[in-house]
Amino acid sequence: MRLIEKTGRAYFWISLSAFVVAGAIIYFALTYILRKTLNENLLSDIEAVKRNIAEKNIIPSYSPYIDVKEVAGSNKPGLEASDTLIFDQGEQESITFRQVSRLVSINGKNYLITAREALLEKSDLALTIAVVTGSVLIALLVIIFLVNRKLSLRLWKPFYRILDELKRFSFKSNEFRFSSAGDLEEFNELKYDLEILTGKILSDYQALKRFSEDASHEMQTPLAIIQSKLETLMQHADLDKEQYELINTAYSYTLKVSRLAQTLLLLTKISNDQFADKQMVNLSEILKEKISVLEDIFNDKQLMVMKDIEEGIKKETNTYLAESLVMNLLMNAFSHSSSYSTVGIVLDENELIISNTGLPFLSDPDKMFDRFFKEDKSSSSHGLGLSIVKEICSANRWKIRYQYENGRHNFIVTF
Amino acid sequence: MKILIIEDEKELLSTIKNYLESENYICETADSFFAAEDSLSSFNYDIVLLDLTLPGGDGLDLIKLVRDMNKQAGLLILSARDSLDDKITGLDMGADDYITKPFHLAELNSRIRSLLRRRHFDLSNELMFNDIKINTDSGDVYIEGQKTELTRKEYDILVYMIVNHNRVITRDALAEHVWGDSISYADNFDFIYSHIKNLRKKIEHVNGKNYIHNIYGLGYKLTDE
Repeated sequence: MRLIEKTGRAYFWISLSAFVVAGAIIYFALTYILRKTLNENLLSDIEAVKRNIAEKNIIPSYSPYIDVKEVAGSNKPGLEASDTLIFDQGEQESITFRQVSRLVSINGKNYLITAREALLEKSDLALTIAVVTGSVLIALLVIIFLVNRKLSLRLWKPFYRILDELKRFSFKSNEFRFSSAGDLEEFNELKYDLEILTGKILSDYQALKRFSEDASHEMQTPLAIIQSKLETLMQHADLDKEQYELINTAYSYTLKVSRLAQTLLLLTKISNDQFADKQMVNLSEILKEKISVLEDIFNDKQLMVMKDIEEGIKKETNTYLAESLVMNLLMNAFSHSSSYSTVGIVLDENELIISNTGLPFLSDPDKMFDRFFKEDKSSSSHGLGLSIVKEICSANRWKIRYQYENGRHNFIVTF
Repeated sequence: MKILIIEDEKELLSTIKNYLESENYICETADSFFAAEDSLSSFNYDIVLLDLTLPGGDGLDLIKLVRDMNKQAGLLILSARDSLDDKITGLDMGADDYITKPFHLAELNSRIRSLLRRRHFDLSNELMFNDIKINTDSGDVYIEGQKTELTRKEYDILVYMIVNHNRVITRDALAEHVWGDSISYADNFDFIYSHIKNLRKKIEHVNGKNYIHNIYGLGYKLTDE
């Protein structure tokens, strides 16, 4: 819910209850005052009738407004006020009258003088009050809404601008600045705090990036030394089988770490946008070349390659990244397919699809693009291949998606 | 043949030096920018191995110096900087080749050999090992004087092995050399074996000798012992 809606609703309910209460108070106050004045008027009417009887001996009768009855007995003079319904012939309906009766004694005779006045219908009164307060309420709400909207649009403008700018925050820039937040102290404070926050995030992110780059980088020299020492050691003539095997194990793991470091470095470089130089790259050629590089490995596993490669598919990208993407996808298909099966490769203007046979993926398919994710923990792969694919795709604004269909894993890159 | 090795990492420097000396090259070393400047200004070398990250200066500046002082020298860049930019800049500035750390010593040896052949036209274009003779210009292979047909990969393997004969060549080094860097994506190099087997058969078929020996899972060694 937007702020303006929330305040709008609050205003609505508050005004509504205020107006209901005010309406009720007005209603009761009005009826009270009306009756009071009516009673007083009726009393003065009775006094007038009384004077007429006493002075002129005229007994007036204007039914239903004035009624004079001579009553027998010597009741104590008294006053009585009440409401009564009287059927009106003209209007063909019952009308409520206020009546005041007074028993008076004039010249030894007792008269009951009743004065009546039509009362304003209660329902009429209530309706009138409701209509008046209701329309005032609506007018007020409309005014509040308009003023509120105009005011909040203006007041909150800096806030929405800050919000917009925040949405454009990216790790690509080294510094993130907000434009002026206006003269409101709250927003200036917000802007100031956000600048500190984004600055901290950016510097932490830079440090992290530098760290992973430096760490992978710094590993290369020691690894180069270990590798060259092992290569020197294995040249000794008098080594026996066991010693060769020891060297072999140390050597192959050294190479593994070294490749891991290189892969991590590559991942960092891709996400740091260090492969900015792009040109039109012929993907068809790259794909065919990499397939021929891998021909021997594929043959060794008795894998059939079913390819449908459209000629001359060119995309604007970095050559190295395109090669790496193709190679990682091909190696992924190779490693996860069983012997004597087929690897499918399709390239056209819109898509690159590389597929292989295999059992369905047990874990969440989204996870397979995570770094170091391996479904089979015992696998010797480092689990970075598909994260590289994903990084390369996002660096090129391509989409990678995975599909399992008819016993085949499909990796689909949409350009 | 005289080689100058410019490398600030002393352990790596000594390994490379020992390795190349056992290949009968005369090696000199420089472990800083200034030492390299001194050596390059004072002497002539056939091959300069240059590490780009050096204390005291940018290795790229030395490329210019090598080109000014030692026009004949083959220049091979060694660097942990595997960025393409550096590779392209280095090659543009006059380097002949580029090898990324960590590298296989056998690969370094092979690169030096082909660099020497490219730089010095007076060097023989023939590679010999016992009764095997390869003309590296025409790509013809002779065993006991008999021309033998090899596939492209068998040829590459044989040349690499002859250049590094009597040495253990790991399967990784062989695979990377013959199939290219991309092959390092594979975590299994068993497929090399069938090529080795065929090559071995072809040689044995002519002279009855088995020169290519398996070294316990590590790799192979070309030797007549």
